Amino acid sequence: MTTPIAAVANCPSAPLIPPSQHPWAEVIHRLEAGGSMLPDTPENLMQIIGIYKAYAVPMDFYWRDLLYIAEQVFLDPLPAFKYFPSQEYLERPNAYAGEQSKLRLWRGGEQAHPELLAFMARGETTAMPKLLHHLWHDRINMEFAEACAQAMLWHQAMGGRFNDYLESEAYRANADRAIKAYFRRNPLMLGLYQAFPEMFLEKVKQLSYYANLGLFWEVMAPVFFEMSDIYDEGGFQGVPDAMNFLVKGIFAVAGRPIYHHVFIDGECIEIIPKAEGFTWLYEAALPYVEAVFYRTSPFRGTKSYNAQAGQVPSHQADFHYGILYADVYPVGSAGIPPTLLMQDMVHFLPPYLKELYKQHRRGEQDQLIQLGITFQRSMYNVTSAVIQALRAALFYPLDDTDPEHLLANRRFFEGQMDRFLRPEARLGAIQSQDYR
Amino acid sequence: MAPPLLLLLLALPLAGALLVFALPQGDATRVRSVAALVAGAQLLFTLLCWRLPPADLHLAWVPKLGLELELGLDGLSLPLQLLVALLSTMAILAAPANQARPRLFFALLLATNLGVSGAFLARNALLFVLAFELVLIPTTLLVAIWGGERRAGAAIRFLVYGSVSGLSLLAAVLALGWFNANGFGFGFNQLAAADLSPTAQRWILALLLLGFGLKLPIVPLHGWQPFTYAQAPTPVVMLLGGVVSKLGAYGLLRFAVGFLPDAWAAWSPWIAIAGAVSAVYGALNAIAQSDIRRLMAYSSLGHMGLLVLALAAATPMSLQGAVAQILAHGLIVALLFACVGLIERKTGTTAIPELSGLLNPLRGLPFTLGMLLLALMAAAGIPGLAAFPAELLVFEGSWTVFPKATLVSLIASGFTAVYAVRLFNRVGFGRLDNGRAHWPATGWSERAPALVLTLLVIAAGLWPTALTGWSGSATAALALRSQPLLSPSAPTVAIVPELLPS
Repeated sequence: MTTPIAAVANCPSAPLIPPSQHPWAEVIHRLEAGGSMLPDTPENLMQIIGIYKAYAVPMDFYWRDLLYIAEQVFLDPLPAFKYFPSQEYLERPNAYAGEQSKLRLWRGGEQAHPELLAFMARGETTAMPKLLHHLWHDRINMEFAEACAQAMLWHQAMGGRFNDYLESEAYRANADRAIKAYFRRNPLMLGLYQAFPEMFLEKVKQLSYYANLGLFWEVMAPVFFEMSDIYDEGGFQGVPDAMNFLVKGIFAVAGRPIYHHVFIDGECIEIIPKAEGFTWLYEAALPYVEAVFYRTSPFRGTKSYNAQAGQVPSHQADFHYGILYADVYPVGSAGIPPTLLMQDMVHFLPPYLKELYKQHRRGEQDQLIQLGITFQRSMYNVTSAVIQALRAALFYPLDDTDPEHLLANRRFFEGQMDRFLRPEARLGAIQSQDYR
Repeated sequence: MAPPLLLLLLALPLAGALLVFALPQGDATRVRSVAALVAGAQLLFTLLCWRLPPADLHLAWVPKLGLELELGLDGLSLPLQLLVALLSTMAILAAPANQARPRLFFALLLATNLGVSGAFLARNALLFVLAFELVLIPTTLLVAIWGGERRAGAAIRFLVYGSVSGLSLLAAVLALGWFNANGFGFGFNQLAAADLSPTAQRWILALLLLGFGLKLPIVPLHGWQPFTYAQAPTPVVMLLGGVVSKLGAYGLLRFAVGFLPDAWAAWSPWIAIAGAVSAVYGALNAIAQSDIRRLMAYSSLGHMGLLVLALAAATPMSLQGAVAQILAHGLIVALLFACVGLIERKTGTTAIPELSGLLNPLRGLPFTLGMLLLALMAAAGIPGLAAFPAELLVFEGSWTVFPKATLVSLIASGFTAVYAVRLFNRVGFGRLDNGRAHWPATGWSERAPALVLTLLVIAAGLWPTALTGWSGSATAALALRSQPLLSPSAPTVAIVPELLPS
């Protein structure tokens, strides 16, 4: 008796495996063809590239300030100025971009983006001391970046070894050394540390995730800038091109180190040494996608409402409040599209995206929602890149001719798509261009 | 001021209706602007009447029938005429810019204004009946032509109830004139001094209660109201709730309390009970509604119950409260329906289960919901807003006469907060429906009528004299019972056993 797979395989013009019966079969077939979860349309391409650029500018601030907080502010008990990174960090060369970078993978300048510096000087209002910009909330909203890092800490076990290392004796000893060095002239804090060591250790763990996320975004910011440049030059022909650029980027930096260093009086204390071998893809990128794109948590402002409505699952692993599930319409009702990020991105929208938003819905009045939905589309594309990268790393090429291998790929894709069977998932919504 | 000013108040809507109807076909916005200008001019002239009170006008019309063109304004009718002119202007402006068949629509709105104005200006009972009946024609047509999906049924029901109301009133007024032992006539001054037998008084009061009770309405005469309010277009329901129903309250005050004080005093305990029952019935039904318009209709019914209680008590304070309640409720109900009209125009529905998240600042209707919240708070009698001083006067004025009915009505008034909070929670909060929220934002021109009413509701709450100052002396003159603490000199009517309902 001939198996269905073999029968199909014997026919040269037919697909090697039968069509998927999964509810998201259409998307799965697109992924199998090398595409993205986001449909390949010119408008989708324009939207995602435009928003990548608008995202990259604040991200250029996020990674600098996250590293500044993790490495310099550290355990300052009154970190009132943690959102004011030093000039050194604003001028800190990106390790992966610019002419002088030894690890250069992408073009672009190595210092903070000019649009970012211009915004920091003038904001939405006018040029004034940065403290006034801060108090007026006319600034980059680091609260969003901190929420992402805290989500990574909070969800913890998301694969990789990073979180396990935070529980190790080696980490504890390094953190102890750093804490004692930081407070060596502060007996009150040292006394508190003696009394409540776990509290201090927990804070250091949180800062280690700040460093983790800062290093992750240090890579991503120039990627998005370069994608924007390539699009402006007419380089991308479709959404799959953009996704494949991300896939190649992921592999290019997959092995870059993730670490946490603290600088105290000029001395570098390695809380997580590079020698531990933590790498960008497995210890930063994948946990970030899981914690931020998928899970996060109910928005703090509405958490009690969510709980009363029975919308908070009892198991943390069941949390699905990330951008892939977020309902962008209600005010801050979901974890990540967060109005703060939208507010950050709106300052850096490319002209073609502003023009697009003017033509739909309420035009400029609701462009925060429109760009939130664009961001949702773009993150489906990033997630597609991650899924394709994992498939490439763990399974088989898309053009493999062995039906068993293709079926293994199919099972992997179907497993990934199972996560979008939840009613909150926006995968269905982004298939339509009318979702704005 | 010369008497023609009073005629002008009637001539304006009449001429305006004819002018609007004669305008060339086409631009609905222009037709609306002309109609609004006419109503606005009437409002200005009414304000002029307030500053320079005109003398009464008396012209012979059909003397053999007792029908005279007797017009006048006093402390009772002037504030109501102001309300008519104001709400007519706002209702016209609340109509959509692309109003279908605009010439007929706005002409009928002005005709409604003519009828209600005529009733409030009339100093002759037959003239009042004529104007009262006139209102029924344009309002029925407005519901029948521009109403919702079930407009035919609503219009027929409205017409039937309205006709019965009109016939009852006609019979009552004719009886007032015919059975007056002091001579035949329908002038208000003549009727105020009428000498009627107890039996005649009983029958006439029963007819008046039927006629005006249907108009208000009051339980159990309210069958037309929820259906009609749910189906009528927004400007029409603003006028129906804001001024047309107030004809009933005004009629009871003017005719029943004014011309039949002994009978009214004798029947007042039952009337107070009817008022309390209406207040409770209206509030409880409002809580149970799943459509905003029907909720508003029952809310209005409940508030009319408070009004009837105040009229039944007939103390100086309660009557002053009744007039204040007429004005405050007129403003509030018009504001509520203006907001509901905006919600319906944008979302396409007034079904509460289908609406949520409208407070969303970017894709919702936050400004409209803000005004709706204020209107609901006002309806609930929150201090600082228009209904508070009115309800305070009603309750304080009625308490000494009918404490139990007042207590029940007070509790019913508390229910207002229940349905107000419930409605706002359902409609304002929660998740905005992605599939529905594609409507454009409301523009300032759309918001203007509701915004003006909002400001007036706040102003009247902060300056209650705006509600009570007009009618102090007029209502004191009509009071049937004393208010020991406030007006020891007010009369106290002795109950005549023959006048009790048999």
